[in-house]
Amino acid sequence: MSAYAVNKLCRDVLRDHAFRERMKTDPAGAIAERKYDLTEEERRALLAGDVATLHNLGVNDFMMGYLARFGSCGLSVPVFNEKIRSCAKGSH
Amino acid sequence: MAKIVAAYGLPHTPFFPSKVIEEGASSHTGKLFALARESLEAAKADVIILFDTDHYNTFFFDNFPILAIGIDEKFVGPIDEPRGGMPVYRVPSAPKLAEYLHHHTVRAGYDVASLRDFSTDHSVMVPLHFATPKMDVPVIPFFISGHVPPLPPARRCFELGGEIRRALEAYPEDLRVVIIGTGSFSLEVFGPRIRPGMTDGVPAPDWVDDVCRYLAAGSTEDLIAAATEERMHAAGNVGGELLNWIAMLAFIDNRKPDFLEKQMENGHAYAGWRWG
Repeated sequence: MSAYAVNKLCRDVLRDHAFRERMKTDPAGAIAERKYDLTEEERRALLAGDVATLHNLGVNDFMMGYLARFGSCGLSVPVFNEKIRSCAKGSH
Repeated sequence: MAKIVAAYGLPHTPFFPSKVIEEGASSHTGKLFALARESLEAAKADVIILFDTDHYNTFFFDNFPILAIGIDEKFVGPIDEPRGGMPVYRVPSAPKLAEYLHHHTVRAGYDVASLRDFSTDHSVMVPLHFATPKMDVPVIPFFISGHVPPLPPARRCFELGGEIRRALEAYPEDLRVVIIGTGSFSLEVFGPRIRPGMTDGVPAPDWVDDVCRYLAAGSTEDLIAAATEERMHAAGNVGGELLNWIAMLAFIDNRKPDFLEKQMENGHAYAGWRWG
């Protein structure tokens, strides 16, 4: 139950420009340093830029948009777009 | 006695300020906002009350009120770096009136949180950027949670609007008050139902048509009945922003709008009612 921690990390990408830069160049290091209360599944999905899995774990779409906008974890708007649409079936 | 003189429903799409700079004031979006700006200038407002859904910037999941009112001399924003950039504004507010409205609504049974020393995101600032670009009219933001479940019921938001209206009508100062509700009817942002290659999508264009039909006819009761939580979520992950419009409709007495313009590619509309 820590979708909250992923949401918080996404907000840090918006607000903390040094962290934003680190999430682009060295996401594994950036996440390790911050000691977010992530599950192993969340950490793996984040580092893989797997926003479909994160969505299904209850992470907020709007917050994940910051990962796409600011190029975190290998994401970009086109890559994010493909990945998030892959879970369209079965969402509410 | 405060007098309510006009009401508007407006979008807050974060990239519209840069889009209108690029495409010019005579672009479709530029013209639609100009309708609201010109009407609002003629309304000579002393204060604006703006119903808005914060996008996790003024509030966050650690502290997430369903209803809240901003009480301060001023507030700043946007604090969420809308794409393309826009100025960070300092907007004057009206703390004495805001505090009065807070007391009134809580005593009437609405559990409204209050906030001071706050900032806001594009959802407050984009409509103001276009409608009151000089930022010379005090604005009281009233926040309604409209994205993630649980949403407050449409009926409750409408009745809350009515309660604020009664409070304003009993307020001892002569003030001209304008009401704004902001948000989309059908919009998915960064969720599974976005369009290929885009950051958003309009999952339920038929619902946008329905909402606009109710607005055009002044059929607020029918709109409230149709706007179930299920219906709003099905219209997109920000579909509950309609609640801001519904709170605003409590001020217009089923009047027909002076203007009502749909922008289907964004799942929203622009509407204005001016009578005072």
